[in-house]
Amino acid sequence: MGPDAIPRQSPLGMRAAVLLSLLAAGGISLGYLGVAISDLTPSSGGMATAWKFLSRAASPAFVSEARFVPADAPPLIMIALDAAWNTLLTGAAAMGLSLVMGLVLGFAASSAWWRNPGVDGGTGLDGVLRRSAAPAICAASRLLIILMRSIHELMWAVLFLAAIGLNNLAAVIAIAIPYAGTLAKIFSELIDEAPRASARSLRGLGASGVQTYCVALLPCALPDLVAYAFYRFECVLRSSAILGFFGFPTLGLYIRQSFNATNYGEVWTFLYALLALVILADTWSGAVRKRVLA
Amino acid sequence: MSRDEAIDRLWHDRPRDAFVRASVWVGFALIVLSYAIGDFDWGDLFSPRRQANLARFLIEVRPFPLQGVDWNWGVAWNWATELLADRGAQAALTTLAISVAAILVAGGVSLGLSLSAARNFASVEPFLTLAKPAPLWLRAGWRVICNGTRMILMLMRAIPEYLAAFLLLAIFGPTPVTAILALAIHNAGILGRLGAESIENIPIEAPRSLRALGAGRMRIASWVFLPELLPRLLLYFFYRWETCVRESTVLGLLGIASLGYWIDDARTRGHMDVLVFYVMLGVAIVLVGDIISSIARSLVRKAS
Repeated sequence: MGPDAIPRQSPLGMRAAVLLSLLAAGGISLGYLGVAISDLTPSSGGMATAWKFLSRAASPAFVSEARFVPADAPPLIMIALDAAWNTLLTGAAAMGLSLVMGLVLGFAASSAWWRNPGVDGGTGLDGVLRRSAAPAICAASRLLIILMRSIHELMWAVLFLAAIGLNNLAAVIAIAIPYAGTLAKIFSELIDEAPRASARSLRGLGASGVQTYCVALLPCALPDLVAYAFYRFECVLRSSAILGFFGFPTLGLYIRQSFNATNYGEVWTFLYALLALVILADTWSGAVRKRVLA
Repeated sequence: MSRDEAIDRLWHDRPRDAFVRASVWVGFALIVLSYAIGDFDWGDLFSPRRQANLARFLIEVRPFPLQGVDWNWGVAWNWATELLADRGAQAALTTLAISVAAILVAGGVSLGLSLSAARNFASVEPFLTLAKPAPLWLRAGWRVICNGTRMILMLMRAIPEYLAAFLLLAIFGPTPVTAILALAIHNAGILGRLGAESIENIPIEAPRSLRALGAGRMRIASWVFLPELLPRLLLYFFYRWETCVRESTVLGLLGIASLGYWIDDARTRGHMDVLVFYVMLGVAIVLVGDIISSIARSLVRKAS
């Protein structure tokens, strides 16, 4: 018996159809975009820029490379640390806001707090309200969640810039809206999928909807929720850095400025600050998730 | 034992982890700290100047032909269809096409990377225990390949799409290639890690017996990993595609001809009605993407 004992067919079988249709979708897309392999060859100017930029990867700047540096300007390292700190603070603030909004919306959008067979009957005002108002609230919050989630944080930032102008809190809110939407969606799904047995017995004993929610449903979903929140923390730092491209004082602002001024050494300093921040968060949240979900 | 004692015992014996508790507290402290010392000016956000800006914006959001006159659905409909025919539909299709091309490149690249990043596969003798240990240089070589790939994947993930596109812009110019590559790099990093984790969690029996029969690595990959993991990989693939649609809209802000380009264009011209229309068009294509993806995912679940 050697490897020949393994039948010589295609391991794909029916799966080939799936993969082929995906490839076809890719081919149609590239055709529509008019992208050809030759587009992958950069322009001569692009090549030169790329080389100049990449050659500084091993030698990031430690002092400013700008031609005119004001005498009272802080050292470059301090600017990078300050930008990284701002990135962290903006991210944390956005995370806090989105957690609050996400928990409230997620609660409203889950069906667990109002759909309780056997308890929500009755012809009294309470029963009528529960059957009409609660589903309406639930549907409305689900619609709101979809709208919040479907607009990217950078689009929210563009909208806020257009509507009110530059304000650091606008960055926090711009990030927090889609993050809250996603958090609420995941959270309401976790709640609805949590085991219902203890909730039902508590309801049977006469506990109110909110009591049942806090005692029986929330604790079941908590580990998954913590794991997910830490995963999003990793993402929020990236989002917060990128918002700098729109003028907020996070790392993106300095990356854009230095790159446009062709001070590539400085770009690498800021890039390494961003990488350090993101990888640190990645490692931390990975460790938390591994323990929570173990 | 009284009832209260039993409850105390339950409370005391509940599962907890010092590291997770500390992490939650640190995270909480960071959030409080950010509001305490961050440079966030609530007063400015609600200042009369901001409110005036907002009031002006809300007036300008009204479709241009309807500004200052009574609302008329026919006029609004014509305004919307003209914007769609003008460039909206084309920009929306470009956005979708970029996302599809990007996720496919990412998926293809991640297949290879996840193989060499899986600890149980990228080793001297996958799935078997050798009678005598392999030479040190061979073991070290495989360690380098495996950990090297994992590091590359981490770097790819760490660079946000928008930043990658900004840097690639200088090389390729504002073409779809820039957007596709930027999205593909980040997503290949994510899909590669998820793929490697799936391979590492695969039950060992099938690959081990195949290996013991003398099958090569590629044969194990195609006969065990592919059938076993394809459904899960497709789920990840479609989840990531949903974010690709969102990101590909946004990359237009850099000058690539997706929807974001026309959103930015409307903003610089001060056409707030057009801006909001295109943002809502973006919502529409995100919804279309989410629906296609959820149908595909439920088909995958049913088939597996």
